[in-house]
Amino acid sequence: MLFNSYEYLIYFLPLALAAYFLLGRRATWAVGWLVACSLFFYGWWNPKYLPLILASIAFNFAIGRALHRGSQPVLSLSKGHAKALLACGIGANLLLLGVFKYADFAVRNAADLSGLPLALPHIVLPLGISFFTFTQIAYLVDVHRGQAKEPSLLNYALFVSFFPHLLAGPILHHSEMMPQFASPSNKRPQSFHLAAGLFLLVIGLVKKVCIADPLAPVAAVGFDHPEALSALGAWLSVLAYTLQIYFDFSGYTDMALGAARMFNIQMPVNFDSPYHSTDIREFWRRWHMTLSRFLREYLYIPLGGNRLGDAHTAVNVMATFLLGGLWHGAAWTFVAWGALHGAGLVCLRAWERTGHRLPRAIAWAVTFLFVMVTWVFFRASALPAAGAMLRAMAGASAADAESWSEALRHGLAPDAQGSALVAAAALAIGLVVVALPRNSNAMALDFRPTWPRGAAVAVGLVWSVLQLGKVTPFLYFNF
Amino acid sequence: MRWFGAVLTITLACLAAAAAFVVWVDPFQQYHLASRYPPRFYFLHHRYINPGLARNQAYDTVVSGSSIMENTPNDLVAKACGGSSVNLSMPAMSASEQRLMLETALASQPVKRVIAVLDFNAFAGGIEERQDVAGPLPRYLYDRNPFNDLPYLLSWDVLAKAWRIVNGDTGEKFTSDPNGAWFWGNVVRFGREQVLRGLDLENLNARYRQPRRTFDGMRASFEHNLLPILAAHPDTEFDLVWPPYSILVWLDFAQRDQVQVSLDFKRYVFEATRGLPNVRVFDLQGDAAITHDLDRYDDIYHFDPAVNERLIEAACHGRYRVDASNIGEFERKLREQVAAVATPAGLAAVVSGPSFVR
Repeated sequence: MLFNSYEYLIYFLPLALAAYFLLGRRATWAVGWLVACSLFFYGWWNPKYLPLILASIAFNFAIGRALHRGSQPVLSLSKGHAKALLACGIGANLLLLGVFKYADFAVRNAADLSGLPLALPHIVLPLGISFFTFTQIAYLVDVHRGQAKEPSLLNYALFVSFFPHLLAGPILHHSEMMPQFASPSNKRPQSFHLAAGLFLLVIGLVKKVCIADPLAPVAAVGFDHPEALSALGAWLSVLAYTLQIYFDFSGYTDMALGAARMFNIQMPVNFDSPYHSTDIREFWRRWHMTLSRFLREYLYIPLGGNRLGDAHTAVNVMATFLLGGLWHGAAWTFVAWGALHGAGLVCLRAWERTGHRLPRAIAWAVTFLFVMVTWVFFRASALPAAGAMLRAMAGASAADAESWSEALRHGLAPDAQGSALVAAAALAIGLVVVALPRNSNAMALDFRPTWPRGAAVAVGLVWSVLQLGKVTPFLYFNF
Repeated sequence: MRWFGAVLTITLACLAAAAAFVVWVDPFQQYHLASRYPPRFYFLHHRYINPGLARNQAYDTVVSGSSIMENTPNDLVAKACGGSSVNLSMPAMSASEQRLMLETALASQPVKRVIAVLDFNAFAGGIEERQDVAGPLPRYLYDRNPFNDLPYLLSWDVLAKAWRIVNGDTGEKFTSDPNGAWFWGNVVRFGREQVLRGLDLENLNARYRQPRRTFDGMRASFEHNLLPILAAHPDTEFDLVWPPYSILVWLDFAQRDQVQVSLDFKRYVFEATRGLPNVRVFDLQGDAAITHDLDRYDDIYHFDPAVNERLIEAACHGRYRVDASNIGEFERKLREQVAAVATPAGLAAVVSGPSFVR
């Protein structure tokens, strides 16, 4: 189920919320209800993957219990055994991820390298597997470090499956969530959290529906037909995607945080105006912050971080970003994207050692351009397509403005002119919103339930809901 | 809590008002046929409007097919077959979409006869193939569950259409004739020049870009989508009709090695349905008087409304019917025609003059 769907907004969320608070006096029932809701939410798309997430939860809970060296350990483990068990747990999680997410990629590359006609397994990627796998790896590591423990399977199931974060994060730490789930006061409706949560949810919905979605077809036309792009067309396509991915993902996160807040649960912030960044390190402190935190704490630092000299640090940075890139998708484009960001960070460290500082405006422009250009690899269907887009951006394409207009007319049909106008408006509004000093987190932080805000929330919610149901006449292409 | 409650109440009130307005006007006729205003059959909105027609219009005969059947007015069917008819054809309809449409109609009211035209291309792709070129099929309109109609009830696009109807704004492209809701035969030109324009006769699929079909794939689609419906409604007569594409379609098949798979599929459909007393198969694909006369076509697939009339009359009066005794003859004739058109002289005869092989 998607956050920007009728079934979620009109049926699922209100029902889940109402029943949760009605059951609030009985903590176990309330938690059980929320787990049931979360599994229903997960299974809505394809129930056949429910056993997978349930097995994953059960397995990691069991490993966590075995690792737990608290007052009542299930097993008494030596340090070595605990480490082996942790490795086994992490290995199983990575294997699950590998099979479901990377099997096709691995087989395709093996076939390309060997020349053998290997059949692709065509395994459908279960929703959210990257997120719930990483969440649970972090949990196991934290248990091993003595920083987490969870004796209740139901609570653990809620921690992993809590629907606001299940499909696209944020990636949670056990320690920041479980006290909130355990708190009895959080199981009673709190008007301020309900209001602030609704406010944040509507901001996210408006970001997604009114900015990201209208930009999507413009970006798609450009990335689907890079050979038809003039330099201006290429830059505008990439700019459209740069804004689309930010408003889409941060909008989704705002909706997740807003929904959780309505349940009196505060989830960690995931985006903090990343396009304000003046260097690439700052970008990664503001973009998908919980993934950055995960990669830093569970990969970069265990690899040695920056403690082993410059060369080793550079290797660690590159390894972290290559794997981070691959985590986003099983394709060489994501690896290239991660490699570019890793290389960007390595270069930044080298530049900082020279003692030079760029003026803030130039530093911002360089960072924004770098991020934009690297999005080409993130969005392109394959490396050659990324190359074609970069050539077009460099003005080396033979296409002229007319061919891009033609591609847009085709791609935005049936109402190409109307869609282009809406996309242009979304682009302009998106740029203004990106430039604003206060983002949705700041607005939620000092939220006050005033009537003008109430009116804005009602208008935003009504307008966004009405935008969800698009009527798309059949395009008569090739029959 | 006052703020939250008030915002939620206002929001829900606005949305409820929008939904009530849509139900009242009902631009796609989902809950009632248009009676207070001339109906609007919006250009290329078949997939939205047809399920409403299936539920709300009175009929005992259904015409189902792709765009080639859109030029079949209801009164033509009534004249040829008796009763009252509804045309639920959709452009580029897949077998899966045909199934959904027929299921909706058959669940809505007693249906005596279904005239279902079979397109080879409808059986290409997977068994649940949909022609989601511009967006997903509005699946929620094809059932009787009102709770999943929210994309219709709470859509700005629909709301705007309802508003334009109330205001008498006729700026959109639509027709208002319920007798020929999707009729387009009066707005295009038919003729050999039109058919041959921009066509590469040595590579016909360069223009049409049709996917390659396999017999197994087509059979699986038929077994999944149509056969269960035929078997589940023994009181409904199903006339399965192979439509008379121009012979150039068969030339395209020959160029792509798709002739045999097409003939095999036709044979299979006959064999699969011959045990069902409520199913009859008709085949107009070997009638050279139609298929070799390119002046009857708009492109290599689409024929003029007079051919629709011939097709409906054939089904209702039992002409062109395939049975165990003549199926071989139908095949032989078509094979010969395909072999002939695949020769330079045969092709020249088809494309150059009004005379045709009889």
